[in-house]
Amino acid sequence: MSVDKKGAWVGAKFNRKEDHRLTTGKGRYLADLTLPGMLHLTFFRSERAHSTINSIDTSKAMALPGVVAIVTGEDIKEKILSMPQPVVQPGLPARFPKHWPLAVGKVKFHGEPVAAIVSRDKYIGADAAELIEVDYTDLPYVGDPESALKSGAPLVHDDWDDNLIFEMGFTGGDTEESQAENDAEVEKIMQTADIVVQKRFRVQRCGVTPMETRGVLANWDESDGMIAHITTQRPHIDRLALSDILEIPAEKMRIVAPRDQGGGFGVKAPFYREPILVCYLAKALGRPVKWVESRQEHLMVVSQERDQINDLEVAATKDGKLLAVRNRGLADCGDGCQGVYWGFVMPFLGAVELPNGYTWERGDVKLKVAVTNKSCLSPARAFGEFPTRFAMERAVDMVANRCGMEPAELRRKNLIPELPYTSVCGEYMDSGDFLKVWDNLMKEADLPAFRKQQEEARKEGRYIGIGFGLGVELSGVSSELMVPMENQPGYGAATIRLDARGKVQIFEGDAPQGQGHETTAAQAVAHSFGIHPNDVVVTTGDTGTTPFGSGTIGARFGSYFVSAAVQAAEILKKKIVRFMAHDMALSDATEDDFEFVEGEIIYLKDTNIRQSFRDACERNIMAPINLPEGETAGLEHTAFFEADKPMIAFNADFCVVEVNPDDGQFKMLSWTSSEDVGQIINPQIVEGQMQGAIVQGISNTIFEEFIYDENGQQLTADFENYKMATAADVPNMKITHAPTPCPHTPLGSRGIGEGRPSDVPGVITNAVCDALSPFGIEITELPLRPNKIWHLIQEAKTKQAAD
Amino acid sequence: MKTTVNITINGESYEETIPNRMLLVDFIREVAVQTGTHVGCTYEGVCGACTIQLDGEAVKSCLMLAVQADGHKITTVEGLATGGKLTPLQTAFNEHHALQCGYCTPGILMNMDEFLKKNPNPTEDEIRHGLVGNLCRCTGYAHIVEAVKAAASK
Repeated sequence: MSVDKKGAWVGAKFNRKEDHRLTTGKGRYLADLTLPGMLHLTFFRSERAHSTINSIDTSKAMALPGVVAIVTGEDIKEKILSMPQPVVQPGLPARFPKHWPLAVGKVKFHGEPVAAIVSRDKYIGADAAELIEVDYTDLPYVGDPESALKSGAPLVHDDWDDNLIFEMGFTGGDTEESQAENDAEVEKIMQTADIVVQKRFRVQRCGVTPMETRGVLANWDESDGMIAHITTQRPHIDRLALSDILEIPAEKMRIVAPRDQGGGFGVKAPFYREPILVCYLAKALGRPVKWVESRQEHLMVVSQERDQINDLEVAATKDGKLLAVRNRGLADCGDGCQGVYWGFVMPFLGAVELPNGYTWERGDVKLKVAVTNKSCLSPARAFGEFPTRFAMERAVDMVANRCGMEPAELRRKNLIPELPYTSVCGEYMDSGDFLKVWDNLMKEADLPAFRKQQEEARKEGRYIGIGFGLGVELSGVSSELMVPMENQPGYGAATIRLDARGKVQIFEGDAPQGQGHETTAAQAVAHSFGIHPNDVVVTTGDTGTTPFGSGTIGARFGSYFVSAAVQAAEILKKKIVRFMAHDMALSDATEDDFEFVEGEIIYLKDTNIRQSFRDACERNIMAPINLPEGETAGLEHTAFFEADKPMIAFNADFCVVEVNPDDGQFKMLSWTSSEDVGQIINPQIVEGQMQGAIVQGISNTIFEEFIYDENGQQLTADFENYKMATAADVPNMKITHAPTPCPHTPLGSRGIGEGRPSDVPGVITNAVCDALSPFGIEITELPLRPNKIWHLIQEAKTKQAAD
Repeated sequence: MKTTVNITINGESYEETIPNRMLLVDFIREVAVQTGTHVGCTYEGVCGACTIQLDGEAVKSCLMLAVQADGHKITTVEGLATGGKLTPLQTAFNEHHALQCGYCTPGILMNMDEFLKKNPNPTEDEIRHGLVGNLCRCTGYAHIVEAVKAAASK
């Protein structure tokens, strides 16, 4: 495909098609939808972290005018199958706690749904919730993964014999013998290496809460069945899971993800318990039921990720060659009651991605995940790897410091020089040029000049520092990984339908969350057909009209979906030119002898022979007579794109900070990135994805933290206590590119954005440590708060004075 | 307790009898059915998605009761464009890719529309500080700042 022709929409800045409705108040989000006779559902949630439910008295609440129904766990446990259900159960060896949408027998975290009130008005629902009385007997609170795994620890799930939900080794092959041999080899390297950095790294519980909370509007009709609008990244998975769990035949289950959703970032990817109950009650009551999650509920029960301890050891030679990595990960899963991920799939992938873009001779990587009396971890962008990458990028800087090398130089020395490459944890990296990306970044950095500036500044008592980091990110997730990891396919599926006016409809089963799919997909397909993106419309997220897709996850749009859409377009183009060759008696023509440019199809062997795209479509659809032999009418095709192997994208960053040593406050002075996103489809959308991801990483690193007190009370369930970055908190970012087209996708595009925040905490912390290098400070914990920095400075000063 | 109020929203007057406890944002969204104004926090006034203009001044409609708006004129995001013509700020948001999911966008537009009227030539720092009452999770703010700057220059 030539991308330099006129009407080359791939690579063009094209203002988003979504924006007109969204800037004029015409977006239609879940909360905006209503149906006649609609009722509101309000969850009554546990105020305790771990307690037996002795009794629930709903009588006063039920007596309130306007309350239609109240249900508790006991009311529904015989009527709704319990989780887990196979479609939302990964193929990984783990325990899957049995649970229902409402607590049965005991509550396991502060915020667990205990009862649900259905009322005519949401204000009445809130009033009724105040009148429900629960008699609890408190049980011991299991509040951290280390004490959860001690023998004799109180059990989160009474039918388990301990609190371990998942455990895995990622290195050393498939047999116990090969793993033991590998571990011994790693131990030998650790014993003999010039340098071994060994640290415990901690990343707090935080995530990427979207501005729009979750919600459901479900309606049951005896003839059509269930139509449920759900804020979701995975409508097709929700459909199968809801059909199975509510025992409603799949043909009577239709899920519609609203076209406009207010951000997902992973939070809307799990199969949650709340939609199960909303759909159940819509059917049971025969009325539409709507639930719109409050921000308080949201922060109490979802958007909580990270929360890992990584005991990391890195061995290296004294001249800075990385040799071996050993890691013992421990994640705090929460109660683990959440379909698809169960709280442990994120740390699982984080461990897989620990080695990052460096070469290692050996690795010994193991992970344990414990259940506790907290809300279950739910995914957030930089899925699972935010903590492991923080650990790795910090450790690499520590190795460099011990070697007396520039951290940037050490990184370059250890970058994977050539792809494909399979990491010690088995991560396959298909293509790209890490050195090219790195060298492009270093052009921007001008490190010698910075070091001079830093030295001058220190003379004036100012502490500036530069920090580096890099990240290998998934570009979609192939079936090879998706089937075992999530029990779902990885392929991208796109339907393209042409109409008799030469206009195009694209159908996408995944549900965008604001990433601009309508624009990017229209550009890619318009490019293929040689028409304008405004002649292409995109329908997303309705299981009644779109082909199956596993969801908007893992940066699979630019890699898998766009590739499927382009493949579908190419197949339709071949059909169109076969008709044209037949009609114009071009007996020598092959399918490759035609070009689609600016609304015309041109016969390349005689460019006077051409047909308008519209006429070609109209002839096929509206005049199906005198057809070429063996052909039928119709221009519609669904393509399934699958890459043979997983694909990746790559990035590297640096930032410059200034730290005030008197109070530990620091300011980010600049941020610069270098990206390999392959062939760019829309540069502005790519830039927006990167800037947004980097700021999410900054916000997680510096501000965001979910705090549970010693009794498991969640103290951070509003935006006053769960602080997110504002415009005044963050720097401008310079996004630069050093692309290598992906050889495994038709456009050379890569999926981007999902993992992009992952190297941010390392970059910032490395910069702060670099600024404070005269004090020899090594930060190993997030969040990175001024008071912690101040304490470390004081400790260092005391130590320096004592020395 | 109910009160009859008369609130003008985007030039149209709504005379309605409503519970005293009804929040202004619910009046706008559910009584007047202008759903461009959004709710993003638990009515604590932090996220700014519900920002509207009350007699020309940007306010958070989750922090007011509807009865407090009795007799006042409200403009929401639906009332920004006149006769189908977008304001320079709305156009700049499209040209500079200043929105992704769009959920925070109406509140930001209503805040910045007022901000630019009071400060037609803002510095970047002033824009960033002018935006602290609006949370955006998608964009990282840089494109929003660019768009506001561009709108100011028009």
